[in-house]
Amino acid sequence: MKKYLKLWLVMTSRITQIAFASRFGVIFFTLGKIIRFIFFLLFLVLLVEKTRSVAGYTLWEVILIFLTFNMVDIISQFLFREVYRFRSYIVSGSFDYLLTKPISPLLRSLFGGSDVLDLITLFPLIGFFIYTLSKLDGITILGVFLYVLLLTNALIIMLAFHIFVLGLGVLITEVDNAIWIFRELTALGRIPIAVYREPLSWVLTFIVPVGIMITFPVHAALGILSFQAIIVAFLISGILLLGSLYFWRYSLKQYASASS
Amino acid sequence: MKLYWQVAKNMWDQAIAYRLSFVIFRLRNLFWILTMYFLWVYALPHGKVLFGYNQSQILTYILGGAFLSSLIMATRSQDIATEINEGNLSNFLLRPIGFLRYYFARDLGDKAMNIFFSIFELTIVFLILRPNLFLQTSPVLLLLTLVFSLSGTLLFFFFSVLLGFIGFWSTETWGPRFIFYQLLNFLAGTLFPLDIIPKPLYTVVSYLPFPYLLYFPMKVYLGQLSTIEMVKGMAISCIWIVVLYAVTQFVWKRGLRVYTAQGR
Repeated sequence: MKKYLKLWLVMTSRITQIAFASRFGVIFFTLGKIIRFIFFLLFLVLLVEKTRSVAGYTLWEVILIFLTFNMVDIISQFLFREVYRFRSYIVSGSFDYLLTKPISPLLRSLFGGSDVLDLITLFPLIGFFIYTLSKLDGITILGVFLYVLLLTNALIIMLAFHIFVLGLGVLITEVDNAIWIFRELTALGRIPIAVYREPLSWVLTFIVPVGIMITFPVHAALGILSFQAIIVAFLISGILLLGSLYFWRYSLKQYASASS
Repeated sequence: MKLYWQVAKNMWDQAIAYRLSFVIFRLRNLFWILTMYFLWVYALPHGKVLFGYNQSQILTYILGGAFLSSLIMATRSQDIATEINEGNLSNFLLRPIGFLRYYFARDLGDKAMNIFFSIFELTIVFLILRPNLFLQTSPVLLLLTLVFSLSGTLLFFFFSVLLGFIGFWSTETWGPRFIFYQLLNFLAGTLFPLDIIPKPLYTVVSYLPFPYLLYFPMKVYLGQLSTIEMVKGMAISCIWIVVLYAVTQFVWKRGLRVYTAQGR
């Protein structure tokens, strides 16, 4: 574990140095992300101020949902950025090189390229999150603790999907499109998922559990999530993680090293 | 003319060659449309009016805007920066072909492909969700919508080409383009109709070129603009087209002076 942590720090610092080599790009990239966040937030504020609520959520509750989506999105992009490069490893045959190393190819393929650029916007977001909590009634320490716990659970679900995408990459070299579809589906959770109708709401419940990832932590913070729902959330993430690990092992057995 | 027709046709064939990537790109776009669609359906039930729009008008704005963006904002001119940075621009300079006309023809091929898929997507959305849409019957307003859409297409093209020309001075061109698209989401009215923002902010934005890309054509289609507003809008749009064309020509000439065919 210690070895992997040290390795991750070394790899992350290298990737960060590469990213900051193009300072111009770093500034524009960060600015662009901030602009996107502010504009969508402005739209939500304008809309919910007029309608007073959306799907039963007040303005600050809608903002909390939007912030939660952003936190899950930013942290998972930061942690699993290497998955976006995985296709090139398979197509070029470089994956064979990773397999010969005395480290887990799965951990290397998942965490080998954490990009600090993705993390820059997280800190002001956390500040805004604390401010949002202060604007909501009935927030307790237990609620915040459960929120953090369920946010971690959301990241476990994200981890499971990224492992599944890696397995898909080994089998059919399809990574980029699969990951973008998954990200766009998750992005549907930037607003309360109660607004969606069938068949989309079915997809968001059974295929990509956006409700568990985004709505559950928010409900926990607001103190309206049942104990059973928390258990179900962890059961589902556990099943998804185990399933993805099984799929990864299966894909490795099928790997023919055709590109090397 | 035949030459540029062939360029547009080649672009169409190129897009078909990478079908899966193209379909996924469109699918991603569709998810975004669905987010806005359902949010507005929920926020604005049938029979209510919000920000001066009823449900059928706002859904027409969202779905119609999605269709128009396939015409106006589909582009391949992001490749210009790569052509410059890899030295491939030299190939164009040696050929009897207009660089801007070549890229405009490529854009037309890409737009045709995007429109084709957009019609397909929106038909599916319509068949599944059966939205209550506003149908404009006035031939004059339909013609004016087309005219504003074409002026929006020109505006977008010049912006996109100018962003590509950054490649003459820097290899980092994706950052400014990323910001441009984020600004566009808001200022062009892609995200929501611009007249829902506070009046002073709207007044400032209305003098910028961005609202004439998408917001204005859709407002004309919905018949929500007076004749004076349309004339004023067309005047501002035309001024920006002339200004951006002049800037594009100026930057192109300046860029060629510093171009070194690096990478060849």
